[in-house]
Amino acid sequence: MRKIIHRVTTEIKEIILDNDIKTLILTDPDNWPLPPFSAGSHIDVYLPSGKIRQYSLCGDPDISNEYIISVKGEKEGRGGSQEVHELRKGDILPVSLPRNNFPLMPAQNYLFIAGGIGVTPFLSMIPVLERSNSQWELHICASNKNNIPCSRLLKSYMEDERVHWHFSEEGNRISIPQVINEVSLGQQLYCCGPEKMLMEFENLNSEISERVHIEHFGFNKPIDDPAYEIYLKRSDKTILVPRGETMLNALWNADIEVPASCEGGVCLECKTRYLEGVPAHRDLTMKIADRDNYLTPCVSGCSSSRLVLDI
Amino acid sequence: MSWVGKIEGLHRTPRSFLPMKSFQSLKLITGVGVEEDRHSTGEAFHSDRPEEGRQITLFETETLEALLRDNGVKLSMEDHRRNVTTRNTPLNHLVGKRFKVGNALLQGMRLSTPCNHIEQITGLDIFYLLMNRAGLNCKIIVGGEIFVNDRIELE
Repeated sequence: MRKIIHRVTTEIKEIILDNDIKTLILTDPDNWPLPPFSAGSHIDVYLPSGKIRQYSLCGDPDISNEYIISVKGEKEGRGGSQEVHELRKGDILPVSLPRNNFPLMPAQNYLFIAGGIGVTPFLSMIPVLERSNSQWELHICASNKNNIPCSRLLKSYMEDERVHWHFSEEGNRISIPQVINEVSLGQQLYCCGPEKMLMEFENLNSEISERVHIEHFGFNKPIDDPAYEIYLKRSDKTILVPRGETMLNALWNADIEVPASCEGGVCLECKTRYLEGVPAHRDLTMKIADRDNYLTPCVSGCSSSRLVLDI
Repeated sequence: MSWVGKIEGLHRTPRSFLPMKSFQSLKLITGVGVEEDRHSTGEAFHSDRPEEGRQITLFETETLEALLRDNGVKLSMEDHRRNVTTRNTPLNHLVGKRFKVGNALLQGMRLSTPCNHIEQITGLDIFYLLMNRAGLNCKIIVGGEIFVNDRIELE
């Protein structure tokens, strides 16, 4: 059982409400510096219910005593964002050390595409690029002018000519192919937003694909696999994974302790070796070569009748 | 073996994971730990497994120099997460010995062991490089205020 001493302890110092987005400013209870982070990092937030969710840090990495996260209330989500919206100023909120799966690669020129709340990682990148005199442009997609994500954090950039607004309800929806066509040589392209937008970038069959960076925040599709069987070789135990259930939940229900964090196929904390069978991987971050030997029980399914795990 | 060492740096932090801060002096509380350090307040990563040998921890400057010289790894006094950084003090020889650090008296309890926690925090691949030179865990026999540049010597 992990305790508060095994997490970074933060206190909610301030809450900013901005339409359906809640921005939390987190500090150490004694205002001691927090563990440093680099632009593009995220943290795991350990919610009172036990849920764990990942949020981008959207403050300036040079400000050492606070973490800022912005969370959109998702009524159709898995409940994490609604729980964040119930938190109050002064609450203690354990978080993880910052991790960075979306770092700024060395370049002179950066193009950022943000779908709604996906603007958050770019808010930590822009101050860094401003200090290094690097060139950047930011495209922000929202439904309309009244629905600009993190408008208070973006306040100083509202009139900036490097920020391009795309309001779908005003007929100004972003054209991904057009953006791609205009990418210049040496420009790094970063995208964070809804899964559909990310898929469009991922499916690029373009010479610039190696300069495209995408930030995922978990597997959001419901799992609807038929029931299947897993055999735990070292424990000599067989477990049935019922239809619609995750492998991770089935393991936990059978009192098999498997560490897990994001439960969305991102953090790889539950990465488990398999010995036989064909998994349906579905994780978003594991190296392709590792998939021959490992699966992530939080999101992986089974494409054969049975899987044999090395636990 | 004849030696006289000195304190190169003093550091503490109030909670697990937080960066260590440098101080010119630290207050050592007999039988408890370093005032306002996480090991004395029960807020250290290992506080669920308390041991008196964690009242104060020491680390050799020479190890930092060796990591840079031999392995190209730049680890600072803030990074190794021990309270006292020493010079010319053979910490591995002080297990079971009593020795003076400024006006305080310590007893070496066991060698510190490297842990994944320090790799997590520093992001450096140093676990194996710190084997057998990760510092010394001590009990505070006589407390007091200790200062940078104070002498370290056997009782």
